[in-house]
Amino acid sequence: MTSKQLLFRNLRKNLKNYSLYVFALIFSSALYFSFVTLQYDPSMDAAEGSIKGAAAIRTASILLIAIVAIFLLYANNLFIKRRSKEIGLLQLVGMNKGMIFRLLSAENFMLYFGSLLIGIFIGFSFSKLIILLLFKITGVESIATLRFSTEALLQTLIVFCMIYLLIMLINHLFIKRHTILALFRVTSSTEEQIKKVTFLEMMMGIIGLFLIVLGYYISSKLFGGDFTTITELFLAMVIILGSVIIGTYLFYKGSIRFIFHLIRKRKNGYLKVNEVVSLSSVMFRMKSNALLLTIITTVSALAIGLLSLSYISYYSAEKTAKDYVAADFSFTDEDQASTFTETLNENGIEFEERSTEVIQVEVDLSHISDGDIEGDLVEGTVLPVVSDTAIEHIDLSSGEVILSGYNDLLQNFIRLKDTGALELNNQKFTYLGLEDEFIVSGYFTSGGLPVAIVDEEVFTKFVTEANPDIQKPSNTFYGIDITNKNQLKEANHFFNEIMATSNGPHESQLNLSNNQKTNMGFMMFIVAFLGLTFLVTSGCILYFKQTGESEEEKPNYTVLRKLGFTQNDLLKGVQQKQLFNFGIPLLLGLFHSYFAVKSGWFLFGSELWTPMIVVMLLYTVLYSIFGLLSVNYYRKVIRDAL
Amino acid sequence: MKILEASKIYKSYGNKFNKQEVLKGVDLSIHQGEFISIMGPSGSGKTTLLNVLSSIDKLSNGSILINGQEMTKLKEKQLAEFRKAHLGFIFQEYNLLDTLTVKENILLPLTLSKTSRTVANHKFKEVAEELGIFELQDKYPNELSGGQKQRTSAARAFIHEPSIIFADEPTGALDSKSASDLLNKLSQLNQKRQATILMVTHDPVAASYCSRVIFIKDGLIFTQLNKGNETRQAFFKDIMRTQGVLGGIQHDQ
Repeated sequence: MTSKQLLFRNLRKNLKNYSLYVFALIFSSALYFSFVTLQYDPSMDAAEGSIKGAAAIRTASILLIAIVAIFLLYANNLFIKRRSKEIGLLQLVGMNKGMIFRLLSAENFMLYFGSLLIGIFIGFSFSKLIILLLFKITGVESIATLRFSTEALLQTLIVFCMIYLLIMLINHLFIKRHTILALFRVTSSTEEQIKKVTFLEMMMGIIGLFLIVLGYYISSKLFGGDFTTITELFLAMVIILGSVIIGTYLFYKGSIRFIFHLIRKRKNGYLKVNEVVSLSSVMFRMKSNALLLTIITTVSALAIGLLSLSYISYYSAEKTAKDYVAADFSFTDEDQASTFTETLNENGIEFEERSTEVIQVEVDLSHISDGDIEGDLVEGTVLPVVSDTAIEHIDLSSGEVILSGYNDLLQNFIRLKDTGALELNNQKFTYLGLEDEFIVSGYFTSGGLPVAIVDEEVFTKFVTEANPDIQKPSNTFYGIDITNKNQLKEANHFFNEIMATSNGPHESQLNLSNNQKTNMGFMMFIVAFLGLTFLVTSGCILYFKQTGESEEEKPNYTVLRKLGFTQNDLLKGVQQKQLFNFGIPLLLGLFHSYFAVKSGWFLFGSELWTPMIVVMLLYTVLYSIFGLLSVNYYRKVIRDAL
Repeated sequence: MKILEASKIYKSYGNKFNKQEVLKGVDLSIHQGEFISIMGPSGSGKTTLLNVLSSIDKLSNGSILINGQEMTKLKEKQLAEFRKAHLGFIFQEYNLLDTLTVKENILLPLTLSKTSRTVANHKFKEVAEELGIFELQDKYPNELSGGQKQRTSAARAFIHEPSIIFADEPTGALDSKSASDLLNKLSQLNQKRQATILMVTHDPVAASYCSRVIFIKDGLIFTQLNKGNETRQAFFKDIMRTQGVLGGIQHDQ
């Protein structure tokens, strides 16, 4: 047999074994290519919008490369170890190391660049779909064209060539370093000795669980008012991150074994049929993969967390816009408002107009603020004040005050009591509570402070006593609501046309919400892109690990089948085992991201559950595919075991 | 009482064009409480015979009755069921699950037959003490010596009181001291429990512990030796002599 024949024979055999590797390679090169195509596509300028889109995409593409490179190197490492016996055998029959290296390189070359070309082709065909998706998410109206970019091709080729060279280098080192004897032993040397659970492991297990819980606990307190200065906040975040990551590591290193050990101890040697396959195996294998699993858990938690947050922000764009702009269109200048209403009239768009007088008054919140926040925030605060006549359902007597429309975000820093005394302009008022309604736009409320509502008489008094130093340039809020919401888009179009040239605070709720959707949609798109790549690559790695493990456990299945375990018994055990193998990292990742999102989600939007659950479900479903694939692989192994 | 009755068993590997006949019509019957060993040169079909008798491998032709039940007609699932209840195995490579403790390994067959926990514990204690491994119950296989491993494997084969125990070169990987220890234990259990054991071996010493030795050669039964009332030493000499004849003929061919 010539070496060429050997090469092709190997390739054919390996293609079957490495089908998922080839798939992952095709997938990641397709993703990368389409991503880079986006980067070079002229129509992207439209989507990039106000944020630094190009920079974001470039950063993302570097991250993408990092993920793909690590994955490919890792997978290659797994495969070369699996083939070490073959390499040893070739040396035994007289091939020298150089020849073997060339053989491996040639084989890898075909596998690698074959997949790369297919990947680029697929990436190209899908890049239009991806750009359409991006436009859909960000709400940008632009025509997506399919343009083959040579720059993108070149960049993809260069990057993947570099990864290839790196892989070859590692293979070269591997072959050079190992003697024939060592090659025959490589697979077994990675297996750790199975021993009893030591005291150290128990301690590690307990500490790991404790650290994770501690991290979760601090995260729930993060924005609760316990950490007030930036340094404290930062320190708390570092502690959370550290304790959760170290906790995760120790969890895999000790806790799993510890917990399973306790379960087994209780069984007193009498294991159920499926526990024979699942419990005992997971208990020992998980520890040797602790580092890998920690990385996978942490990064997937990061991906889920970021995706949830950007989706939360995207999802609540409309609500945020409503909080900031108190009508469909808001003005602070009478002339501008009337120009706009005239245009609306001309075009037959019905609307309701309201104007509210707002003055700024010094307030002392110290009697009703919850918690111990001191300083200017409470004492020297300036709040906008309106009269109760501006709001239909509220009528106050002269000594009373109501606050209304307090931003969720600020509420987390300065919490207010339900009742108490409030000083406006150094006069004491009885505080009756907080309403949800946002009465005037962000221009008056300094972005999110509540509006104080007082009796008409008091308001007029305040107007006369008003301190000119703290007043805004405008004292009147003009709000215009379009009666028929179907005409809102048209109205917004006129608004943009007219107001393009005039300065001054005037806002359109729709513009603001679209803007946020564009920005957050773009973020979401990139994070999802990276998250998907990571999901696929980490799923593949877990799958490869499992296929290797299944081959190692094959003799066990043979014994068990001889003893009278049916294929079904074993498969049930394997299913349970995969539930642990894939489920534990997934569950831990979900928990991490849940607590991360929970601690700070209000900084991003106003709706927590729906976006987060959608993201988590999606991730779980995609992730489960790899678990199912590995069960399928085990099915084959078990069938062939006897 | 006949435990196992095999008649005219044929086994061949390969396809139509390249057929390799390994068993060429073996007849064999085993009575309850017998301790039998099968001997023969390499490639004579010993292990194939064992695999076929123990339902791990499928027959090409012939019939096997174990406890009056025809094995060849059973489906895969029924076979598993049958092995579970009636057969026990001891292998050369011990074949213990390295992730399970000694006790867990030994209890596996009882787990399968869903024996109650108290009964299982009782049986474990009994068999483990007989084999002298009770103290090792919480150890993992790689903390044991070869002899201890093989005794664990034997305990696993005996614990559910199967109709017949198949042992494939059980002493193959053991030093002579551990081997004779194990064989002593096996013959003790054979007498005490009336357990039926069928052992494949090429070690005449191991075979001399048995009550009957069957020699096979080229897929056929060559001859049989009965121990009768002989001492083990005398029986050993008989076996050596027969083996010499067997080897001599082989040389001529």
